[in-house]
Amino acid sequence: MNQLKPPEKGYQSRIRTSAQRLYRWHGLWAAATLLMAFGPGYFWHKALVLTLLAVGLDFAMGVGMILATKKFIMEMDELQRKVLLDALAIALGVGLIVGVPWSVLDAYHVIHLHANFGLLVILMGVTFMVSLLYSTWRYR
Amino acid sequence: MKNRLKVLRAERDWTQAQLADALDVSRQTINAIETGKFDPSLPLAFRAARLFGLRIEEIFQDQNSTPL
Repeated sequence: MNQLKPPEKGYQSRIRTSAQRLYRWHGLWAAATLLMAFGPGYFWHKALVLTLLAVGLDFAMGVGMILATKKFIMEMDELQRKVLLDALAIALGVGLIVGVPWSVLDAYHVIHLHANFGLLVILMGVTFMVSLLYSTWRYR
Repeated sequence: MKNRLKVLRAERDWTQAQLADALDVSRQTINAIETGKFDPSLPLAFRAARLFGLRIEEIFQDQNSTPL
């Protein structure tokens, strides 16, 4: 009793391994997305078969990234999971409350900035990072 | 929720990192529990109780409850 016996592979070591796996999958998915986006125009002159193969590769890498993310979340401890969930919820909320009015205003030509999915993703990404950093600082 | 985690840890001369390793959580989580910013789940509270050889209510107390 009262003896500190850390598990065989400690939390920090497990989360580091899991994070490295996650970074690898994110890198692979980003590379596959770049190939899918620029390959048809720059590398294979819009050949349909190669374009479809690039789309399939991007999808496969995306599935791998999702599974790696799931594994990473399962490895997190309860506070880290709460921090992540809070940040995701805020990013999703901001995406909705900005995205829906933006598309409505665009549809009725009230604003001249066209509703752009890419910009919305960037906004959600920035919101997610800010929320994550704030929560990490708050619970540091 | 109030807790005696910091006192119990200090009595044993353990660092937050050592306690975190023993409870299989991050050091940040231990710090957040000790400072009252985060309440642990029941499984984590049980792990802490087992580690210190105490009952859960000897470590964690509801802020509004009176001692039994």
